[in-house]
Amino acid sequence: MEAGNPLLDDYVLAAANKAHPKVCFLASASGDADHYIVRFYRAFDASRCEPSHLSLFRREAGAPDLRTHLLDQDVIYVGGGSVISLLGVWRAHGLDAILREAWTNGVLMCGVSAGSLCWFREAVTAFHGEPQRVTGLDLLPWSNTVHYDGEQARDRSYRQFLVDGLCPGYAAEDGAALHFVGERLVRAVSSRPHARAYRMRCVRGRVVKSAIKTRYLADGVLPALPAGGGGRGLSVAPDSGPAEVLPTAIAAGARS
Amino acid sequence: MTPGPKTPRIVAIGGGGFGSTGRDHALDAYIAELAGANLGVARAADRPKICLLPTASGDPKDQITRFNATFRRLGCDPSHLALFRLGDQPDVELREHLLAQDAIYVGGGSLANLLAIWRTHGLDEVLREAWESGILLSGVSAGSMCWFQAGITRSHGGPRPSPGMGFLSGSNCVHYANDAARAPSYHAAMLAGELPGGWGVPDGTALVFDGTDLREVVTARPGCNAYRVDVVDGQLVEKICEARVLEDRDPAPELDPALAEFRAQHRRASGLSRGPRANGWRSPTF
Repeated sequence: MEAGNPLLDDYVLAAANKAHPKVCFLASASGDADHYIVRFYRAFDASRCEPSHLSLFRREAGAPDLRTHLLDQDVIYVGGGSVISLLGVWRAHGLDAILREAWTNGVLMCGVSAGSLCWFREAVTAFHGEPQRVTGLDLLPWSNTVHYDGEQARDRSYRQFLVDGLCPGYAAEDGAALHFVGERLVRAVSSRPHARAYRMRCVRGRVVKSAIKTRYLADGVLPALPAGGGGRGLSVAPDSGPAEVLPTAIAAGARS
Repeated sequence: MTPGPKTPRIVAIGGGGFGSTGRDHALDAYIAELAGANLGVARAADRPKICLLPTASGDPKDQITRFNATFRRLGCDPSHLALFRLGDQPDVELREHLLAQDAIYVGGGSLANLLAIWRTHGLDEVLREAWESGILLSGVSAGSMCWFQAGITRSHGGPRPSPGMGFLSGSNCVHYANDAARAPSYHAAMLAGELPGGWGVPDGTALVFDGTDLREVVTARPGCNAYRVDVVDGQLVEKICEARVLEDRDPAPELDPALAEFRAQHRRASGLSRGPRANGWRSPTF
């Protein structure tokens, strides 16, 4: 949903690995801002997917049962804003449990900014005031920070938190996205030529930051994902049982 | 702030208010007057500070604009805290800002969302502190019910009971005569023992508490009153709490007719009715 740059949107739809996937937008982190919802419908238009949104501030309109609607999706897309407000309002509607269920069932989870932070065990947010640690939904047992380019206070704080015992994790610059299958990072992609993602961990009291090979999405066809996680993680069980869909999440750092 | 203790005061409004149609202007003026009374002697020449918390509806900009315009016109120094857009207010410290106010005004919307978000930001504690220090707490709809033990909310779709912060004992049902489904739901929940006794309050009407005691009921809409509802010996008992009609000394300008028509259409489209005793709901007889 970056202005004039559909690369990450296209990537998400391709990762759904299905023609005309159902995509539900959650704008909770922005307080269900109307302009943001409109922008979603423009980016994910009905010609290539089946878009919908859930407003947690206007429950009298919209889908009567949140769980039924969310479990029926192929993709759940979480918008940016305040991750602290986001997690508060989700808990009030039981969405923390529903989203975990959806992810476990194989619905592709993705989101930008606060919508990236929320999937991780812990996140570093600098939305207001000093950067702070926030406990997320813990689908991914890592830490995460976004908008990693150019914010020195955020980098300093992330490093200090790692030294203080924050779990290892991933930092994404604007435009970079991390693609996980299960708990494992399988790919980093970007909608901007120089956007990067980094692996961050603390080894014997020192922070180690390593750049992850981040593929610019305009540079042609992507190589296949490693075995066990093709696209959305569709694989057939060896005993020819039903197709198994692996839980997948795409967490993007793009400032939208 | 003036030295010395002030009376903790809460004004809980059943619906309407700040310039929504101009008709409840007397209620806005009343809030501004109470905020002004908190200035005391030392700051008598200042404009009273009043801060809007539009959390319950996701911090919509139009609500903030209307609030600022209404209370600036009433001689106040309005501000707001948008918890969803705190990035736009980097220098504001929440607790410090709220405790520096003469009045805090909580907008309507989703009660469940409001309280969940406040808790994640620690605002429930700050608001109790503000109340105890004598800062006027006021609010409309969800911003009214939040002060009580519980309310009847549409936060999850159809009306159902939902807890508040419990600064005030009892329950609160807003839009009492204006939302056809809400009062029956309130009565049913009370009869089922899911809610303590409390007050039903229609739009344009407010309960005024000094400490935890109801001091009076005021209204900007002549003919509207509040109702005390209890279960006595298994029966619902509804007693009228007559409202003092607030005089509008300086009426707000009339709403642009085009905007009024747009709003009416929007209400019809969303299936909501704001008319008194609409959709055939009548006051139950006891």
